[in-house]
Amino acid sequence: MKRQLAGLSILVLFLFSLPVYAGAPLNTTQVNVNKVLDVLRDPKLKSESAKETKKQKLRSIYKGMFNEIEFSKRTLARNWNKLNTAQQGEFVQLFEQVLEKAYIDKILSYTNEKIDFYKESMNSETQAEVQTKVITSSKEIPIFYRLILKDGAWKVYDVVVENVSLVLNYRTQFNDILAKDTPEQLLEVLRKKVKEQ
Amino acid sequence: MKFFLFLILVYTFLTMGCAHSLNSNSSTLSPSLSTSTPPAVVTDASNSGEVNLPPREKEIKPESKSADDENFNEDEAAGEKAQIADPIEPLNRAMYHFNDKLYFWALKPVAQGYNMVVPEVARVSVKNFFSNLRFPARFVSCLLQADFSGAVTEFGRFTINTVWGIGGLLDPSSNKELDLQKQDTDLGQTLGVYGVGQGFYIVWPILGPSSPRDSVDVVGDYFLYPVSYINPWYVWLGVRGYEEVNDTSLRIGDYESLKDAAIDPYIALRDAYVQYRLKKVEQRRLKLTPSKPEEKSSPADDSVLQKN
Repeated sequence: MKRQLAGLSILVLFLFSLPVYAGAPLNTTQVNVNKVLDVLRDPKLKSESAKETKKQKLRSIYKGMFNEIEFSKRTLARNWNKLNTAQQGEFVQLFEQVLEKAYIDKILSYTNEKIDFYKESMNSETQAEVQTKVITSSKEIPIFYRLILKDGAWKVYDVVVENVSLVLNYRTQFNDILAKDTPEQLLEVLRKKVKEQ
Repeated sequence: MKFFLFLILVYTFLTMGCAHSLNSNSSTLSPSLSTSTPPAVVTDASNSGEVNLPPREKEIKPESKSADDENFNEDEAAGEKAQIADPIEPLNRAMYHFNDKLYFWALKPVAQGYNMVVPEVARVSVKNFFSNLRFPARFVSCLLQADFSGAVTEFGRFTINTVWGIGGLLDPSSNKELDLQKQDTDLGQTLGVYGVGQGFYIVWPILGPSSPRDSVDVVGDYFLYPVSYINPWYVWLGVRGYEEVNDTSLRIGDYESLKDAAIDPYIALRDAYVQYRLKKVEQRRLKLTPSKPEEKSSPADDSVLQKN
């Protein structure tokens, strides 16, 4: 009996300690960012015509790297529940397109800058921040990734560039809109934004 | 009662992690409990499972929701901290549009032209040169914050860069061997470190986003910046203008991407400014707290984040 109990406890201990492996968030981020860099550096995709293929590849990496729903949810915060399920779905889609269109050119303009992954801090058991910096010839740009552990995988839910959190920045803007307008009107604004970009 | 204690012990044990050796503990505990506990665990589990099932399901929902809420709350707290009052928004918006046009119609074309003529290495040197001249403001800020090591670092940088860096054009002191990094601080941060809040949002023409607190910084910076004492005012204006063009030439595209990504560029810029300044003040505060060496020795420690 004693042995059984001890054995069981040891087993349980192992189970519990699995998700706390140090370095998992940093490794995940590094692997994903390296995947992105591989696509960007690929000599076969250098031509202008391969741009769409590149984007397609980046999109699939993004899907694996980010938790879009968590991203949207945190951006809307309390306002998230004001949207019905269909609206929430559409919002996630639209927001993703806005982000893609805003940042894809920035990412595609990458020219062999060095990226340094230098720190990981655990916020809690399921939340972490990975600190990186992009080193260009004239400056260093700090980029922090905030990750959450959901369903056994670390995924990004916020990116902090030069101390400015994307989630907070968009939240301020959406709050401002939702203070006077309905969720439907917010979606309309986003639809327009996606079209005009 | 004993059984209850045992459960608590097991629980604390589980949450503690692997650092403790398990064998000694279970053997000291089990003599008194070895016969009664295992069946008790089973019955307890089955009991609660049968009896509490309907209420449990109800319980789980609010629980998970409250966990979500907690996440939001902690996020929201960070968000609220990064809020700023904007009582003169119409005026600010007008100023924002003025600055926006100024950038796209004047500053950017000039900087782009300059960009094509002058290679990047030279522009970085010019930036270093002006940055070196701004040493007094950083030095005084460090002193006012009682950050003496920072002040010494700044003084060392100024001396080395002026003498061996050809009047500040190069930045030899931030090399790996010397490792004297620029103390990224100003008078606005100094006030922030002493607990002065931002107040409200102001957009100055030409100077851009600011607040009463950071406007003090603008004034103080003017007096601590040697360039301000250049005598005929038009020469001063020319030098300042040139510095601005040179700085802009190194960050063409930053403002554009912020603007393109924004739903409401005015709000986006305001929020970015507030978040940026808030973080700068927090970083200074963190640097000045005495627990600094501990943080350095264990970079993976989450104490840094908890303080944030």
